[in-house]
Amino acid sequence: MVNYLIRRLCLMVPTILGITFMVFMLLALAPGGIGAGLSVAGGQMSDTSKAAQMQAYLEDRYGLNDPVVVQYARWLGRISPVKFGERDLRMPTGDRIAAPRDIAEPPMGWAFALPAKPEVVFTPTLGEGQVDEFKKLQRDAEGARRSYIGAVRFFKDTLADYVREAGAPWISKLEPKGGAEPDKFRDLAIQDSNPKAAALKTAAADMHLKWAKAEETRQRAHIAFRAKPYPESGIGIIPGLVSLDTPDLGVAFSKNRPVWDLIAAALPVTLLINAIAFPISYLIAIPTGILASVRRGGWFDVGSGLAFLSLYSIPTVLAGVFAIGFLANKQYLGLFPVSGLHASGAENYTFLPYFDAAGTWHEGWLLDTLWHIVLPILCLVYTSFAVLSKQTRAAMLENFNADYVRTAKAKGVSRKDVVMQHVFRNSLLPLITMFVGIFPAMLAGSVVIERIFTVPGMGSLILEAIDLRDREIILANTFMIACVNLLALLLADILYAVADPRVSYE
Amino acid sequence: MNNRFGIKDFVTIILLVVVLLAVLLSMVQKTRMELALDATRAKLSEIEQQTMQLQRIVEKGFSERPTVVMAPGAAAANAADRGTNDAWARPGVKIERWPAPAPAADPTKVPGFAIGGEFVELFEAQPAKLVPFISGDVYYTRVLDRVCEALATFDPKTLKLRGQLADGWQVDPDGLWVRAHISPRARFSDGTPVTSEDVRWTYVDYILNPLIEAERTRSTMDNLKEVKVIDELTVEFTFKEPLFTNAINALGNPILPKAYYSRFEPTQINQATGLMMGSGPFRFERLPAGPDDLDVQWTPGQDVVLVRNEAYWAEKPPLAGMRFKSIKDDLGRLVSYRNGEGSMMLPTSPQFNTVLKEEPDFEKTNYALKWVNMRCGYSFIAWQCGPRAGKELTPFADKRVRRAMTHLLDRERMIRDIWDGIGIVSKGPMNPESPASDPAVKPLDFDVEKGKALLAEAGWIDRNGDGILENEKGDKFEFEYTYATGGEISERLARFVKDSYAKAGIVMKTRPVDWSRYQELLKLRDFDAITLAWGNNAPESDPRQIWHSESIKEGGDNFIQWRNADADALIEKGRRTMDEAERMLVWREFEAVIADDQPYTFVRVAPWLRFVKRDFGNVNTYRTGLEPQEFFKTNSATAAPAPAGG
Repeated sequence: MVNYLIRRLCLMVPTILGITFMVFMLLALAPGGIGAGLSVAGGQMSDTSKAAQMQAYLEDRYGLNDPVVVQYARWLGRISPVKFGERDLRMPTGDRIAAPRDIAEPPMGWAFALPAKPEVVFTPTLGEGQVDEFKKLQRDAEGARRSYIGAVRFFKDTLADYVREAGAPWISKLEPKGGAEPDKFRDLAIQDSNPKAAALKTAAADMHLKWAKAEETRQRAHIAFRAKPYPESGIGIIPGLVSLDTPDLGVAFSKNRPVWDLIAAALPVTLLINAIAFPISYLIAIPTGILASVRRGGWFDVGSGLAFLSLYSIPTVLAGVFAIGFLANKQYLGLFPVSGLHASGAENYTFLPYFDAAGTWHEGWLLDTLWHIVLPILCLVYTSFAVLSKQTRAAMLENFNADYVRTAKAKGVSRKDVVMQHVFRNSLLPLITMFVGIFPAMLAGSVVIERIFTVPGMGSLILEAIDLRDREIILANTFMIACVNLLALLLADILYAVADPRVSYE
Repeated sequence: MNNRFGIKDFVTIILLVVVLLAVLLSMVQKTRMELALDATRAKLSEIEQQTMQLQRIVEKGFSERPTVVMAPGAAAANAADRGTNDAWARPGVKIERWPAPAPAADPTKVPGFAIGGEFVELFEAQPAKLVPFISGDVYYTRVLDRVCEALATFDPKTLKLRGQLADGWQVDPDGLWVRAHISPRARFSDGTPVTSEDVRWTYVDYILNPLIEAERTRSTMDNLKEVKVIDELTVEFTFKEPLFTNAINALGNPILPKAYYSRFEPTQINQATGLMMGSGPFRFERLPAGPDDLDVQWTPGQDVVLVRNEAYWAEKPPLAGMRFKSIKDDLGRLVSYRNGEGSMMLPTSPQFNTVLKEEPDFEKTNYALKWVNMRCGYSFIAWQCGPRAGKELTPFADKRVRRAMTHLLDRERMIRDIWDGIGIVSKGPMNPESPASDPAVKPLDFDVEKGKALLAEAGWIDRNGDGILENEKGDKFEFEYTYATGGEISERLARFVKDSYAKAGIVMKTRPVDWSRYQELLKLRDFDAITLAWGNNAPESDPRQIWHSESIKEGGDNFIQWRNADADALIEKGRRTMDEAERMLVWREFEAVIADDQPYTFVRVAPWLRFVKRDFGNVNTYRTGLEPQEFFKTNSATAAPAPAGG
C-alpha cells in the first residue's frame, strides 16, 4: 500500500506539469493572447504614442514579449518551492523583492554601434540609511528602465516611418499593429538620402543614452540589493544557487493584487456555501435512493423519481430569478434577502443573536449570514438530488438481485441488516467515485448562482479572469483544482480498498 | 464489534462538551464586548451630531457679523495667513478667486431638512479597488468624488472650473504655467492642513513615481515639467507645451495627504484595495492607520461604507454616511431597491419604463430621474475609413457611402425599439450639454432615398437585378459588422442594423467576438464596421486621441484610420487655444467637419437614469450628474417631498 501511495504521489508531479502546461499554451493561443486584459485595464490614453509606450512598458513588466515557453518556465519557477538563482529579499511587510531584472540591449546594434556597457563600481551604505538608499535606487532604476523602454518603442516607430519611406520590399515586413520589429530589417541599409534617416539616428542616439542610464541605475540597484537591505527570503540550501521558499502565485494583471489574496477572499465564501450544500444534497438524495430501491416500483420510488427529475429540469437561472422575484421580493413573500452575504451594517453586528433591553430581537452576524445564503444554497442543491439518488438506486438494485442477498434473506437476516450491511455496503463503490468529485467541486463556485445573488465566490473570480485573460488567476486556479482533484482520486482509490476487501494494491 | 461504553469514551465526550462550551462562552463574551462597543459608538455619534449642530449655529452667527477689527500688525499677519493678500501671485496676471466650496442648492432651505441618516447607492458591479489613481472604473470615481478633493472641480450648474481646495489661481495666458493658492482652512479628514507640499508630493512622488502603478494618470502628465512649492499654500505647475488641458491636469486631480500615504511602501499602495483618504465631505469608516493594520481596509465583496468627515473644512454634508452596495443581477438590484435596501439605483431602460408604466404610484415615493449630463457618453457604429488590416480599402473609405449608411438608419426608431425610447439621437462626438457642441448642428436625417442616391453616386447600383448593390467591377456590397458579445442589447442592435441595410440592398454579416478579441481587432484595424461607445467624464475632452490622423499609428484609438486634414488642423488649433470661448468655437467647427464626413454613424446619447427614494431631499439633477453631499434624509413623513430637477 505504502509503495503504491508513493508511486501515485510521484506520478502526480508530471500530471500537474502537463495540466498547467496545457492551460498555459491554450491561454497563449487564445485570440487576444495572454494579458489581453492589460489593454482593457489600461483604459483611456490621451495620446497614441503614450498608449503604445504604456503597452510596451506593461509587456516588459510582465515579460509578455518573451517566448511562451520561457514565460511558462518563469511561472514554474515562481510556483515551485525549490528556487534557483539569487534569493529574493523579504520586506518587513512580508512582500518579496526580486533582484532587478536584466535589461535587453538596444536593438539594431549592427546599424547603430552600441556604446560601451557601463560598469558601475559602487559601495552601498550599510546600517543606518541602507533601506532608504535602496528604495531610492530602486525607484531610479525603475524610472530609467521605463524611459529606456519608451525610447525603444519610439525608435521602433521611427524605424517604421523610415521603412515606409524606403519603399516596396520592406513595407510588407511591418507589424500589423504598426511599428517595426528591428530583427526583420537586418539587411536594410541605413541611407542618409532617406528623409527619415536623421530622425532615426536621433532616436537611436537617444535610445543608447537611455540604455546606458538604465543599465547604470540597474547595476547600482543590484549592488545595493546584494548588500541585503532586508533579510533574505526562504531557506538557502546551496548558497546563491538553490533555496527553498514558499510558492508565489504571482500578481493578477487585471486587478493588480496578489492572486493569493484574491483566492483567500473568494475561497471561504465558496467553501461555506458548498460545505452546507453538499451534505444537504447527500443526506437527502442517498436515503431517498436507498428507500426507492427497496420499494422499487412503489409510489415512493415513482414519486421521488418524478419530483427529483422535474427539479433537475428547471434551469438554475430561472429558479434564481423566481427565487428573487417571489421569495425575496417584499411585494410577494419577502422572506429572504436579495443579494450579498450580509445585511447592511452587518460589520457592526454581534456574532450571536440576542434580545436587547427593550426586547427587540437582533439576529447577529451568524444568523444573518445563514439567512443570506439560504437562497443560493437552495438553488445550488435542488438540481443535485436526481443524479445522486438515481445512482444510489441503480447500484442498490444491481446488488438486490445478487445471490448473496438471496442467501442472506434465506438464512433469516433481518430486512434492515440485509439492506444496510449487505446491499448498501456493496453499492458503495460507484458512490465513492462520485463522492470524491466533491473535493474539486468544493473549490469551484457556481458562476450562475454567484452572479444572480452577487456572491463574491470563486466562480465569478475565475470567469472574470478568463474574460480578461488574466493568466495568473487562471493558472493558480487550475493548479489548485488539479492538485485537489488528483488527491481526491487517490483518496477514492484508498476508499475502494476500505469499502471492498477484495481491492488491494499490493 | 465491541459496544461497551468505556471510561475512555466518557472522557472524550466530556472533553468535547467542555471545548464546545468554551467556544460558545467565548462567543457570548465577544458579543457582550461588541454590545458595549456599540453603545459607546451610538453615544459618540450622538455627540458628533450635537457638535455639528452647534457648529452650524456658531458659523452662521459669525458670518452675519461684520469683520472683527484687529491691531494693524495682527491684521497683516492674519491677512497673509488667510491668503487675502496677493503676495502669492505672479504680478500682472489675472487672479481667479473662489469662496470655499458650498452646495449648489442649499439643503437647509428645503422643507423637511434634517441631519443624519445613511444614503445607500446600489452599484451594478464590484469596484476592483479603491485607491486613488490606481483604480480606474466608474464606481471608483463615484466614491473618490466624495472622499477626495482636487484644487478645482467643475461647477454643477455652469460646468466651468471652480475652486475646491484652491481659493484662487492664475493661469498663464500663454498656457505654460498654472499657479494655485490653497485655502488656508483646508484640512484632510485626519485634521492635518492641506499644504502645497501635499500637492507637490501627490504629483511628483505619487503620480509620477514609477514604482506606483498610476500609469493611467501618469500618461496624461507627459507635458508636466515641474511642480514647484512657492510657499506653504502656493504651488506652481509648469508645462513643456502650451495646451488647453494643462489647467485641468494641474487643478483637477485629487490631492492626497503626504503624511498618510508616505507611511506605506509603494507595493502596499499598489496592492491595497481600500486606501483612500482626502479632504472631502466623507471619509472611509475604516481606514488603516498604517502599514500594520492594512487588514481593516475595504476589500471587494464588502459594502463600501463612508461616514461624514466631521473634520470637513467647508460646509459639512447633512447625511451621516453613505454606503455603496454591489448587486450584479438587474432584477436583484431592482427588488433590493424596492425592498428598501437601497436609496438609489440605476435602472435599465426597460425597468425604468415598466415600473413607471405599471405603477402610477411609484413616483409618490420615488424620484424617477432621467437627464443628460456631462458624463453621458455616446454609442456609435464606426466605419473603417482606411485599409482593413493593412490590406484593401472597404467601401466606407468613400465619404458618400458613410453618409448614405447614416441616412439609411432610422435612429429614432432604433432608440424606440431597442432602448425603449430612452435616449436621444447623437450627432457627434461632443456631449450635447457641453458648450463645445453647436446646437445648430443636427443629426443627419433618416432618408432612404437620399441614402440610395448617395450610394448610386458612389457607384453602388443594383446592376444585375438581384436586389443587392454592386459596384462597377461587379462586387457585391457586403460588409462585416463586429460587436462584442455579452448583452441582449448588442444582439438586437445587430439585427436591426442588418435589416435596415438589407432593405437598401446591402449585405451585412455579423461577427460577434469576446471583449479581449474585440480589443485586439481594434488594434489590428481588422474590421469593416464596429460598434462601441465612448464614455465621458468632463465637459471638454481632447479630441486628438480619437480623431487625429497621428492616432492611427501604433494601435492608437483612431482605429477607423480616418484622415481629414481640416480636422487635424482644427484639433491642433483647439489644443493650443487658451481662451475658452475662442476654443469652443474651434470645437464647434470641428464638430461640423465630423458631421459632414460621418466617420462614425453616431447612434445614441444615453441619458442618466436613476431611481431615488423620496425619503431623501434636495435631490437635484445637475449638468455634472448628482451631488449626494447635498442630499439629506427627511426626518418625518410630514415633509413635502421637493420636486426633482434643477
